[in-house]
Amino acid sequence: MATHAPTHAHTEHGHGHHAPPKPLWYWWKRAIVWTISGAIAGIALVYFFRLVFGMDPLWQPQAYYAAITMFAGMGFVIGIGCFDWWWAYLRGKRVDFEDHSLHGAKSWRDYLRPNTDHKVIGIQYMVATFSFFVVGGLLAELVRLELAQPGMQFADAETYNGYFSAHATIMIFGFVIPSFAGLANYVLPVMIGAKDMAFPRLNALSFWLLLPAGVMLAVAPFVGSFSSGWTAYPPLSVQGTTGQTLFECAVQFAGASSIATALNFLVTIMTMRAPGMTVWRMPLLVWANATTSGLVVFGTPFIAGSQFMTFFDRVVGTNFFNAANGGDVIMYQHVFWFYSHPAVYIMMLPGFGIISEVVSTFARKPIFGYRAVAFSTVAIALLGFGVWAHHMFVSGMASWLRIPMMITTIVIAVPTGVKIFSWLGTIWNGKIHLKTPMIWALGFIFTFVIGGLSGVFLGTLTSDIALTDTYFVVAHIHYVFFGGSVFTIFAGTYYWFPKMTGKMYSETLGKWHFWLTFVGFNGTFFPQHWLGALGMPRRVADYDERFADMNLIVSISSLGMVIGTAIFFYNMIYSWKKGAPAPWNPWRGRSLEWLVSSPPSLFNFDAEPQVVGGPYQYGIPGARHAVVYAGDHLGGGELTETEKRTILVVANRTIASSGLLDQVRAKAAEGFWRFTLVVPAKGEDHRAAERRLQIALAVLAEAGIDASGTVEDLSPLEAVKRVQEEEPAHEIFLATLPLAESAWMRQDMVDRIRKASGLAVTRVTVLGDDARTAVRSGAVRRVAVIANDTIGDAGLVAALRSRADEQPLGVVILCPLSLDSPGCSDDADRARDEATVRTRALIEQLQDSGIQAAGEVVDGDPGAAAKIARTDYGVDTVLVASYRRSTGWVVGQVRAAVGDTAVEHVVVDTEAPAAPSGA
Amino acid sequence: MAAEHTATIASHGDVATPGRGSGISRGMLAMIIFIGSEAMLFASFFAAYFMVRYNIADNDWPPVKDIATGERFEPPVVLTGVNTLFLVFSSFTVWFAEHRLKHGDRKGLERGLLVTMFLGLTFLVVQINEYVHLGFTPQDKAFGAAFYTLTGFHGLHVFVGLCLLLICYLRVKRAHDFTPQWSTPLNAASLYWHFVDVVWVFLYVVVYLI
Repeated sequence: MATHAPTHAHTEHGHGHHAPPKPLWYWWKRAIVWTISGAIAGIALVYFFRLVFGMDPLWQPQAYYAAITMFAGMGFVIGIGCFDWWWAYLRGKRVDFEDHSLHGAKSWRDYLRPNTDHKVIGIQYMVATFSFFVVGGLLAELVRLELAQPGMQFADAETYNGYFSAHATIMIFGFVIPSFAGLANYVLPVMIGAKDMAFPRLNALSFWLLLPAGVMLAVAPFVGSFSSGWTAYPPLSVQGTTGQTLFECAVQFAGASSIATALNFLVTIMTMRAPGMTVWRMPLLVWANATTSGLVVFGTPFIAGSQFMTFFDRVVGTNFFNAANGGDVIMYQHVFWFYSHPAVYIMMLPGFGIISEVVSTFARKPIFGYRAVAFSTVAIALLGFGVWAHHMFVSGMASWLRIPMMITTIVIAVPTGVKIFSWLGTIWNGKIHLKTPMIWALGFIFTFVIGGLSGVFLGTLTSDIALTDTYFVVAHIHYVFFGGSVFTIFAGTYYWFPKMTGKMYSETLGKWHFWLTFVGFNGTFFPQHWLGALGMPRRVADYDERFADMNLIVSISSLGMVIGTAIFFYNMIYSWKKGAPAPWNPWRGRSLEWLVSSPPSLFNFDAEPQVVGGPYQYGIPGARHAVVYAGDHLGGGELTETEKRTILVVANRTIASSGLLDQVRAKAAEGFWRFTLVVPAKGEDHRAAERRLQIALAVLAEAGIDASGTVEDLSPLEAVKRVQEEEPAHEIFLATLPLAESAWMRQDMVDRIRKASGLAVTRVTVLGDDARTAVRSGAVRRVAVIANDTIGDAGLVAALRSRADEQPLGVVILCPLSLDSPGCSDDADRARDEATVRTRALIEQLQDSGIQAAGEVVDGDPGAAAKIARTDYGVDTVLVASYRRSTGWVVGQVRAAVGDTAVEHVVVDTEAPAAPSGA
Repeated sequence: MAAEHTATIASHGDVATPGRGSGISRGMLAMIIFIGSEAMLFASFFAAYFMVRYNIADNDWPPVKDIATGERFEPPVVLTGVNTLFLVFSSFTVWFAEHRLKHGDRKGLERGLLVTMFLGLTFLVVQINEYVHLGFTPQDKAFGAAFYTLTGFHGLHVFVGLCLLLICYLRVKRAHDFTPQWSTPLNAASLYWHFVDVVWVFLYVVVYLI
């Protein structure tokens, strides 16, 4: 799983607690204990109250179930650790307001515990909500399975009601609303140039409150009648049982979660914008989320209130909705829709924001009418509070409310139209790139317009009286929720996937996902307009024969969405694990999230960014939205992906060691660096230094690291000075052998270079063997040399040197000794000692000329040596060295022993002059 | 809830600066928004209350509890009126506590908080006593439901407000928190307390008086 890649030290926030991280089990053990304790506490509390107040009967199951659910849910949130900091605070402990001990993720485990990093929380939200999406989707397929034919298939009426009720509630409270919160959680703070949300701990709490809600909703249809649909109208909801209770509890949890998130967004947007980020420079997604958050904060309490009242009626026995005792069922609908109509904008406005981002980026044009779109968002939110009763035209409410509500409803089409025309105007004459997010955005515009048009029929009193409670309503709600909200969620998920995971997704699969979903979606929901107009009622498990054919088409089409969704999940999971690395800005976007690395660093910005212009100035030469500065540890200046800062790597003997190269690789992973390798070789073998440098450069090039290098005939001090004149460096790595072996360390080179260059010097100590033996890398060709009598001949050394000049080489010298009487005879020992001495001499000779080498004397014939070369050393090539007069049978023997490894015959020419060594 | 105020300790670099352009600390801003949300929760119950009341024929108010005896719902106006004064007075004492802190008088702050909590607790006890002697239950007609839900939720909010004040008191006593320059959690708790007070005054007027 991706972690937040550049986790460079963050000095500014370095004063948090640095206790070792707790294991995952610590949090979850607590969560389990607290959940169970919560349930028990709930039972005890209800028992106590009923006993004290003499309520009869003592056992009223729904009261107990409600208490168990609420207290277990709260127990879970407490146990998982969301309140730890506040608990310490309220006991009067010393607490650190800037406690970042739970910030950031280094492994997948950090996603499974409370985390205060908005980026981690964003991903937690996305994973959790898409899981709920699967549950809700499967429930929808159960609904379509039941409806595939007239008559009752596998579910009785009440079970069927449970399916669609849970489908709707999970999709609304478990998927659409929180997944927008998740996307915004990830990108919004980065977009406005903030390091995190205003209240990171509250942010974590919001997420963990959502989980119990999702579980309650998923369980609800299976534990007792939950027939009321997501609207939960009394009197039906007052007659429900356990499923209904779970639903009511889940709404409270999900509601608290989204209020907390919305509050957080509002404060974040109001107070944490980067310098220069005026409200008219905010990306439209920020506008959309600010407005939505206002709706959530002021609307959600109404659904909380409505669910409290149905709950009291059913469990406590109050009479809010019992007309015989002065109650009023219409009152429920007023209170409920006063939230739930704004709720449809809560589920749509963030999507509008996403579409504005996507359309502008992929049409390469500024948003058409930016301010009008921003104002229209606010207008929709304000008008949204004044249209609720259009859901109640036929409910028997006060009839004078109908016309005003119809008018406000139709008026709301104006700001919505402003948005549609803004997107069309943006696309018009744009340079359109049909990447997956853009295709989803275009698909959204198409389906959402259809959904908007069917909305006009339902918002108009006269036609609504005929169409209400038919499948026309089902078609409409799915055109705006699925074709609207869910399409935008997909667009946003694809759009920011590279930023969130640091990986690219598969465009091909993304397009398959779109077209299968698009065709399946329209095939599923378009015929429902017709069914509704013909009079097929919604929320009924059975229907008339004459609707049979079309319902079958609908059920079959719905499978297209199932397959599409499966492809989506495959694409996301596979790409997350194995996708190509994403650049910082794959879409050439302008807003701030594209000006930082993918994924952004631990605190997004190491220095405060400066916003200098609007967010959508595509195609305007020289226009910029913002400048992101590098933190102090990068030496300031502007931070870009392409302009890297240089680190000088100074080393001679150790330049090609795996110890040093690993260090360079780790540093390079931060994404900000390029490397200049300097080999000071004053008075040493220049060719040898050259060969080592080539190995180092080849290894780094293979790892995709930007590096160059020179061999300088200077002392380290002079070499650093000379290179610094050419290009300013930011830091110096000085690699040396351990103190005892290092001449540089004896000359106090670290301090002298630090003083002379004025830069930070990091010393990398490399063990001698590490420097002298071949570094393991695909860029280095590993060669075994099988030789016996040629060992010690200058001709062999010359041959190997010339090969090493052609390509980076790691050499293993194997000297096979085919003794007649192996074992302990004096002759054998002498022969072995003599061979060992010669082999060691050759290895040292090679090492001195810059060729990394190792070797051994092998008891056995050349074939045995070749086997060792292949199995122990894993070489790419076996060289058989012999004098001209030798026969080819040895080569044949070696070939037979190593199978498909390449075998070459090197003929050592005794007449060849020894290669000049050094100067 | 009081602990939402993660912002601001004077020494902490960027968080100590007030929100850009707003001149108000993040904690206070959050509390204001949260109070807006809470107000809407009460609004939903008031809406229910008004719709129940509006449904009664001939505006016959307070409604008849038992037709046989002609007995009406009559919440105790005078006793609760006195109780209301307790709560209103507690708003002044919490203001006094903040005011003393501004002058660096920590003892005054402690006393102010203690008196406020005492008054709030008194209010709660009197309310519970009222419940016991009221003569009708939540199950009696829709009026009973609306009455108990409104007063009950308000009582719950008084309890939460008391908890917030208690936390502030503990912070003052144990952690020596709050200075004349920085007292966001205290100010937020106090604002919440004022809100609870205002809701009650509105509730008393609507449900008890008119």
